[in-house]
Amino acid sequence: MNLEPAFPLQRRSRWSGLGAFIGTELRVQLHEVLSIGVSVIVQAVFLVFVSVLARQYLPYTIIGAVVFSTFQIGQRVQNESAWIRIDHKLHELYHASPMTPEAYFLGMSIGILLAYCAPILVLSGAAEYFVRFSGTAALIFLGVLACEFVFTASVGYMISTWFRNMRSIWPYSTLFFNFFGVLPPVFYPLWLFPSALQPIILILPTAGGTALVEHASGLLALPLDWILIAAVSLVGGALLAFVGAVYWARRISRER
Amino acid sequence: MQTDALRAESVRKVYRGRNSPDIEALSGVSLRISKGERIALLGRNGAGKTTFLRISSTLLAPTSGSVSIFGRDAIADPEAVRPYLAVVPQEGKPFMHLTPREQAYTYLRARGFSAETAKARAEHALEQMGLTEVADRLSITLSGGQRQRTMVATVISTEAPLLFLDEPTIGMDPFARRGVWDSFRELTRKGSTILLTTHYLDEAEALSQRLYIIDEGRLLAEGTADDLKRSVGGTLRVSVVSGDGITAQLATFGPLVRDGDTVHVITGPQRIQEILELAAHSKLTATVGPVTLEEAFLRVVGRSINDES
Ligand SMILES: Nc1ncnc2c1ncn2[C@@H]1O[C@H](COP(=O)(O)OP(=O)(O)O)[C@@H](O)[C@H]1O
Ligand SMILES: [Mg+2]
Repeated sequence: MNLEPAFPLQRRSRWSGLGAFIGTELRVQLHEVLSIGVSVIVQAVFLVFVSVLARQYLPYTIIGAVVFSTFQIGQRVQNESAWIRIDHKLHELYHASPMTPEAYFLGMSIGILLAYCAPILVLSGAAEYFVRFSGTAALIFLGVLACEFVFTASVGYMISTWFRNMRSIWPYSTLFFNFFGVLPPVFYPLWLFPSALQPIILILPTAGGTALVEHASGLLALPLDWILIAAVSLVGGALLAFVGAVYWARRISRER
Repeated sequence: MQTDALRAESVRKVYRGRNSPDIEALSGVSLRISKGERIALLGRNGAGKTTFLRISSTLLAPTSGSVSIFGRDAIADPEAVRPYLAVVPQEGKPFMHLTPREQAYTYLRARGFSAETAKARAEHALEQMGLTEVADRLSITLSGGQRQRTMVATVISTEAPLLFLDEPTIGMDPFARRGVWDSFRELTRKGSTILLTTHYLDEAEALSQRLYIIDEGRLLAEGTADDLKRSVGGTLRVSVVSGDGITAQLATFGPLVRDGDTVHVITGPQRIQEILELAAHSKLTATVGPVTLEEAFLRVVGRSINDES
């Protein structure tokens, strides 16, 4: 006899349903083989470009590329979440249910991360080949990537809820890319950036994270206070963004 | 004491416009739905149906008023009531890259059902919605009607205690609509409560035990379809096309209901012959039929349900 209650009313925790929703999103995203493939190719092409133009910067570029492809997960979270909300209205199925809004946000983010981990893994392999990380450096690299993901997915999710139509969202993807990736020293070494602004730019999670990894692997020598600036803003920013996204997810689960 | 499945008191909603005037979508809606009832909210486009449904299902905050679900305050504590609910949003779509089977199954899993239960329930709902043959095709390859059926299948498979369905049969062929109606009847037999919105008169009549007529943010009538038809004041109608010129004479036979340039005379069997003769005398076309929900709607709202203005 089936003893399961006809209807599970008791939520076990605020993250109940998370695993199932990660699976859902992963299943959905894996159909985007083309998009996943292209995301690998774009980064690879960029590396070829740099190795021709300025081979001495290649290790920096590769590390920056790993950091930035992780960071770009947020852009995908932003687009996916907006699309599902505006075009599909599926969020209403999940909000009017035992699953919490924060499980919905996190499930979507992790699902997308898993679907798009291919470029991150490929680039990490390349980075290891060119840089040879120590154990500590590898751990720091991993920690940095975790922070990048949490920060960017949180911000991406929050931004996605501010719009009523898809068209107005696209420009923000460009902004993301330029503001966090192209302008600051992510794909190029920190010392090419105006020196007076160097400690300031480390506040950006992409630039700060990249610099920390490069420092840990001996490609850069950061003074202690700069390390602190980068580390505190990276970790603090990730935590703050995550708490903000959880709060925001709950709040907008009921429109005003 | 029996608690109501849904209870709304004086629910008001004003959409604040940023660069446009405010819109009062609901102006004090109160209703009560008992456990196990099947209720339709019937109204024209823009009447406020979706707004009411979204507020009751915790997806939209009201400007004022209260909503309780199974005795719990749904405005103060939406999370406490959400486990009881399931919603088919208006114009929703399933994930394009899931099959109907995966859509229903993964949704049930996310709601906390075991793999075994989720599989069985998804299967049953797909069958009810006539989706078995396309159950393994990606939604992106399905027709609009099939996608809508996938949404309904996904949501009814939860067998949630309180189901909200916003125009659930839109875009479906008549056969599929009947499948949906049957599944709703089965759900309420099993103990669920259903509130649906529709602007199909036949759907409201076939499906609901009680219905509410809503227009311009107010509930204008409530009752069974028969109650509402009776309230029109007769059992038969004679519809006279372009009957405006003879309204004074027509009015002597019973209440009149207007629909564009057609005048319906509500009356009993014994007067039919006279009205037909009067119409024929004025060279107007007249038809006779039973009073339907359409006349009830016209009388209550003053406009046809398809009137978009
Ligand atoms: N998000 C919104 N912002 C402003 N006005 C809205 C919004 N949603 C609905 N309305 C307006 O509120 C009224 C009721 O709409 P709605 O509840 O969607 O009606 P129905 O579902 O009966 O067609 C309409 O006049 C509609 O234009
Ligand atoms: Mg509507």
